[in-house]
Amino acid sequence: MIRALLLVHAICTIVLSPMKPFTFIFLCLLFVSCDGGLEPPPPVEPGLSGSILFTQSTWPPADSLTSIMLVASKIYPLDSAMVFSGLFSNPPSIFLYPEIGKSLPFFVDSISFVFPLHSGTYKYIGVIQQVSSDILTRGIRVFKVVGFYKDPNNLSLPGSVIINENSQTTGIHIQVDFRNPPPQPF
Amino acid sequence: MKQYAFYIAFFCILESTSAQPNAGSLTGSVTDTKTQELLTGVNIILRGTLRGTTTDVHGTYLVKDIPAGTYDVLFSCIGYTADTVHQISIQDDKELRLDRPLVPALIQAEQVIVTAGRREQSLREVPVSVSTVSSQMIADHVSVTLDDALRYVPGVNMMQDQVNIRGSSGYSRGVGSRVLILIDGLPYITGDTGEIPWETIPMFQIDRIEVVKGAGSALYGSSALGGVINVITKEIRETPEVRFRLFSGIYDKPKYAEWDWSDKTRSNTGGFISYSNRVGSFGYLFSVSRMVDDSYRENDLYHRWGVYSKFNYNFSQYQSVSLTTNIQWRNHGNFFWWKSLSEVTRPADSQLGGEVNSTRGNVSLSYKEIVSDRFFYSLKAIYFGNFWQDNIYGRVGNTASSHTTQVEAQATVEASHGHVITSGIVANYDRIITDIFGSHPGVGAGFYLQDELTPVPSLKLTGGIRYDWQRIWKEIFASPAASSPSQLNPKIGLVLSPSPTTTLRASYGEGFRYPSMSELFTSVNTGLSQITIVPSDSLKPERSVSFEIGGSQWLSERIFLDLAFFQNNYSDLIEAGVNPTQFIIQFKNVTRARIRGFEFGIKADMFNRFLTTDLSYTFIDPVDLNDNTVLKFRPRHLFYASVNTQYYQWRMELDYRYVSRVEAIDENLVRLAPIVDGEHRVPCSVGDAGITYNFTSLGLPLNIGLTIKNLSNYSYVELLGNLSPVRTYYLSVESAW
Repeated sequence: MIRALLLVHAICTIVLSPMKPFTFIFLCLLFVSCDGGLEPPPPVEPGLSGSILFTQSTWPPADSLTSIMLVASKIYPLDSAMVFSGLFSNPPSIFLYPEIGKSLPFFVDSISFVFPLHSGTYKYIGVIQQVSSDILTRGIRVFKVVGFYKDPNNLSLPGSVIINENSQTTGIHIQVDFRNPPPQPF
Repeated sequence: MKQYAFYIAFFCILESTSAQPNAGSLTGSVTDTKTQELLTGVNIILRGTLRGTTTDVHGTYLVKDIPAGTYDVLFSCIGYTADTVHQISIQDDKELRLDRPLVPALIQAEQVIVTAGRREQSLREVPVSVSTVSSQMIADHVSVTLDDALRYVPGVNMMQDQVNIRGSSGYSRGVGSRVLILIDGLPYITGDTGEIPWETIPMFQIDRIEVVKGAGSALYGSSALGGVINVITKEIRETPEVRFRLFSGIYDKPKYAEWDWSDKTRSNTGGFISYSNRVGSFGYLFSVSRMVDDSYRENDLYHRWGVYSKFNYNFSQYQSVSLTTNIQWRNHGNFFWWKSLSEVTRPADSQLGGEVNSTRGNVSLSYKEIVSDRFFYSLKAIYFGNFWQDNIYGRVGNTASSHTTQVEAQATVEASHGHVITSGIVANYDRIITDIFGSHPGVGAGFYLQDELTPVPSLKLTGGIRYDWQRIWKEIFASPAASSPSQLNPKIGLVLSPSPTTTLRASYGEGFRYPSMSELFTSVNTGLSQITIVPSDSLKPERSVSFEIGGSQWLSERIFLDLAFFQNNYSDLIEAGVNPTQFIIQFKNVTRARIRGFEFGIKADMFNRFLTTDLSYTFIDPVDLNDNTVLKFRPRHLFYASVNTQYYQWRMELDYRYVSRVEAIDENLVRLAPIVDGEHRVPCSVGDAGITYNFTSLGLPLNIGLTIKNLSNYSYVELLGNLSPVRTYYLSVESAW
């Protein structure tokens, strides 16, 4: 708007001083050429987004927590060892968020997440707790599932999620109750 | 055989009327005093009669069959000071030659308009803001529909096909218009939705458009809340004339590759051809128009045929009758809103395969008589029929037909010198038969009176009042529904001219709009989402009160300023209320609003009219008084600039318009429709350029023009979820002989 007012002022000045009409045309062209306008939204990184809700007062003691991660798996059923092997298969069939060695925050009531993933069908989305710091045991009882995304039509089963190219699948909500984890293995 | 006999008899009558003995004629040419160029389109009128003509492409004119006598002859043309030659003596069987030079005028200060007071007046005499659009401007902009021609009128902005005068209109998606449109003074609004059928207005036959700003119901009745737009069509010339205009436009690619949905070159092509002639007292005009628009968007095709005719018979110098017919057949695809901001040139999936076929037409009859120097009256009638049907993948969906008839009688009398009284009565009958609005009849009537007084030459006072009554029935012979209370709307105006270069004006007026039948009775599932529209037959008319104070000043012979402050108060505005929990839309009288602001315009010419400029800025402060927030769907700033230059046979025009970003929208509408990414909107900042070459000096009655619209290929929306046209290159050819 300031540009418009400046232009009005400039035009008034020029009109009242008619020796410079071409400056006026130039100003018009300059204004016309100003960029802006609608733009396509930036490309969306494909993945999942949603939230993890932690049941209040169920967090385990701090000394028993190593890390909490989201897992997305193209295979199902799976167990702790399969999580580990799937991470390093070619192509990978298991994906963690955040990566191994990092963790979602502890002792919170809820977390919103955006989990970047390639497009495809994921048969299992869950939250896993690393229960052993000895990662070299190669997955034997390293991970324990503490919550998973449920099939809306059958809450006892995991829900399958499709991620399309250039889009984010939203609305993935997972309830975690450390005292009542789902049956193990996953 | 009987038919032949009829035609022979008919033409014998015509010949007999054409071969009037004792009639003279007036001929001549009109030139520009400065450039000595012959002028086209100058109106020549024998004052005190209904006789007149216009100059042809060679700047010449001919008025035939003038009874012997003495006449005052008026020469007028937009851009020139009107000139009257007094006491011209016409003699029997003689042709008098009268060549006339016209002095260029910076603006149309002396231009004659007819809308502000329902009679011919100079622009300097009217107490309200009036803008005009000439047929030259329409041709220069390659305006295909009337809404396109209005985009550079000060204080007017378009929300795609909804017209908004100084913030009068919001988002109604074509349901109900708060601006009244007239064709030759008669209302032209559909009987069902109460919208303006822009595409059916015969663009190629327009002589000029007058835009009167502010409430105008004191003269024109319903719908004139925000203003009145009067489309005045061309008169039939005295001599045979063929005219045609062809244009072909090519849409550029959208600015971003992501939005490029088609491999084909998209085009927009159309034109018209007309022939007119006058045989004695009988004049006729036939015109055919065609338009094919591929559109820059998917499923937004547009095909149209139009046939227009006009007949005129002069019983005498003082009595004339005209019959006009206009019919349009149209097919267009559905594009209500985009799929998303990533795919702005594709419609939402639910609209794919949808199309609307419509047939719209009108017949109007007008009789005028000048009884004496002081008394003039006219009788007018119009029928407007509208039929449409929507299809989805060839399957018939909804159908609707509406019929609107209005008759009107008006008399103007000069009671004494400087005292003019104008009065009239109107009556209308409406009938709609539709799937989604139901079938309903309605009747209405009105009476108006206007008194104009000039106590001293520098002061003009105007007062007027109109009474309207309307009733709509749910069904024929059923008890009345939605009975609208009677409406009484006054107006007062004052014009003071303290010097020949200064004019001050002030006005007060009231306006109203009866709810349209679609707002009252629509009952439909939109099919676009889960939303259902439910009837609301207890709606009351919307009302407005307008105040304006302004003035104009010549700073020198070449600079003209105009400034107006305005305030419009609206009450009971009908808005589509969205109930987000029940997924229903219902029209309700909900909004009280106040819109005030100012409008500033400068017109100037430079270098002996080598360069002319026209700039305007309008500031609008739209407040929703219900919750003291910004009124939805109104821009705050409008700025328009035009520069014209003429060099020998070349004419060039640069136009720029800025409409600020709409600050407030209906978020519920966006969310529930749903219009994905519908909240995205930006200011409109668009430039157009055109260049025309006139071949007349080479002996060819031909103009060829190149116009580029949206020079910078700026991407913007006028209406939620609707990308406005991308850069388009038009080539146009126009001729008349």
